[in-house]
Amino acid sequence: MLDLKDLHARINPEDGEPSEIIKGLSLSVPAGEVHAIMGPNGSGKSTLSYVLSGRPNYEVTSGTATLDGEDLTGLEPEERAAKGMFLSFQYPVEIPGVPVMTFVRSAMNAQRKARGEAEISAPDFLKKAKQISALLKINPDMLKRPLNVGFSGGEKKRIEIFQMMMLEPRLMILDETDSGLDIDALRIVAEGVNALRSPERSMLVITHYQRLLDYIKPDKVHVLSAGRIIASGGPELALELEKSGYDGVIAGAKSGSAA
Amino acid sequence: MSALDLLPNRRVEGWRWSDLRAAVGSQLPPIASRPERVPPEHDLWSQLGAEIIFADGRIACWPEEEVSGIRVFSKTASEAGPPRSSPNVAVGQFAADSIEDDWFPIVGSTAQHGVVVVRHVGGSTPQMRAARLGVQVGAGESLTLIEVFENELAGVTNTLMECYVEPGGRLNRLVVQPQTEPATIVCTGQAFLGEKSEFNQFVFSAGGKLSRIQTDVIAGAGAKARLNGVCLAAAGLHADQTSHVTLEAEGGEVRQLVRSVARRKGRAVFQGKFLVERTAQKTDAQMEHNALLLEDGAEVFAKPELEIYADDVQCSHGNTCGQLDEQAVFYARSRGLPEAEARAMLTRAFLIEAIPDWLDEALHAEIEARVSAWLEAG
Repeated sequence: MLDLKDLHARINPEDGEPSEIIKGLSLSVPAGEVHAIMGPNGSGKSTLSYVLSGRPNYEVTSGTATLDGEDLTGLEPEERAAKGMFLSFQYPVEIPGVPVMTFVRSAMNAQRKARGEAEISAPDFLKKAKQISALLKINPDMLKRPLNVGFSGGEKKRIEIFQMMMLEPRLMILDETDSGLDIDALRIVAEGVNALRSPERSMLVITHYQRLLDYIKPDKVHVLSAGRIIASGGPELALELEKSGYDGVIAGAKSGSAA
Repeated sequence: MSALDLLPNRRVEGWRWSDLRAAVGSQLPPIASRPERVPPEHDLWSQLGAEIIFADGRIACWPEEEVSGIRVFSKTASEAGPPRSSPNVAVGQFAADSIEDDWFPIVGSTAQHGVVVVRHVGGSTPQMRAARLGVQVGAGESLTLIEVFENELAGVTNTLMECYVEPGGRLNRLVVQPQTEPATIVCTGQAFLGEKSEFNQFVFSAGGKLSRIQTDVIAGAGAKARLNGVCLAAAGLHADQTSHVTLEAEGGEVRQLVRSVARRKGRAVFQGKFLVERTAQKTDAQMEHNALLLEDGAEVFAKPELEIYADDVQCSHGNTCGQLDEQAVFYARSRGLPEAEARAMLTRAFLIEAIPDWLDEALHAEIEARVSAWLEAG
């Protein structure tokens, strides 16, 4: 599904010097698998999510990034979305004046159009929205309100997952979806995410803490440090990180004994 | 002194960004003769209420009998006298002095809420069009006035609307001025608000060679004014919304929200002033203007002003001018919306927030459709 080989990427700020954040990252997420990426602050986790989703000013300088063998780097963000990529933002953006339902429906139909499919009918859309909002315990009134405006941190994350379930992407990138969620909300959100797990879908779960991985069980865990994967392992690696902290794993990787 | 010299140029305070003298050029276009036929009905506007049509500035149609909550009577200029003085009335006064018909209509309300549609109809031949209209809303009565400038108005169109709202009365005024490239339009409105009366105004203006929609409000005790607007300036066009609210007595309330958008080489102008007299204690007035510059080379000029002589008031003004939030653009694109669509969606959302709730569903939808069409036209 997703293959990154020796990826280097930098941020080119409007006002300032470019800085390389991703420095030779290789990663392969096969279809049907959930991979977690953990790492300390500043290791490049969010940058990776933006590079993959095609945010302007996030530039791949060398290496490759492919989705099902197709080069991602030349694609616009909306083309990546139409090919099934979805980024759940760490900080979802507020969009005044656009109700959640209108936004999601516009996005869904734009994706369908790009894929040469017909628009979803209004009743089908409403039915689906109703089912998913019930599952995520989202008050239907919230879907009529402008997207994320005045929503709490937890509500914004729930709406991210709502959008993800509506759009049914193939590759999901969850960027610190657990931040801002209390334990009940975390459970609800995780149920939603788990409902999307299937042999055709892959997930990249970016997180600081092991906590989320109790609910969304990863097949593999990778440790990101200074723009590279320095250690990879099974779910037990996340537990080890929780116990001994990033410092131990990073030090271990430097001395050549990565887990 | 020729009539041309009466037109303000950019050296006149208040017209600095809207040089009317320059827009009109070396001579005023000719005045049209009386129309032979009543202009055809409009699919939307003609259905909404009693119609008054100015065809090239000449009165072409008016309801002769009392219909659906309105009556129209006429006055000659000498009967009516000149318009009352107000800060922006000069060009409106010029309109009153230039009307070619020997009378002008005055719309009155009755106990039943009425809707009056005033259409300014023109053509592609440059003409000088001047129109004067009076509005009287009786005590406790209400009226909705829809003033529409139709698409083809080549030349100069100069209108004056003098509105008197008696105590407890309510006047809703919608002004629709679509994009009209060769047109120079000045639309002056005056609203004299009696005690505890209400004035709701929404202006949709999409520019012209020069377009200026200016409103003077003089508010009595406890009067409420709501002034909203959407001001659009496409490439090469100019759109100006100017307003002046004088609060003369205690307890007045004003809410103003205007949203402007300019494209490359378009110029949007907002000038808003609240003047709170010493006698206008307990005034509660808020002014907000927000502008988006969609492309490099777009221009927005804004001058929000508060002048306050009373000491126990709540007044505020906010003014912002910027570009679309690039984070929001990326967010929408990452969900699948193509860039142009994402930008249009965000701009549309920004604009339609200024459309007030007092407009009924059909009018709301009409204005939204016009905003969308403007955005799609690029």
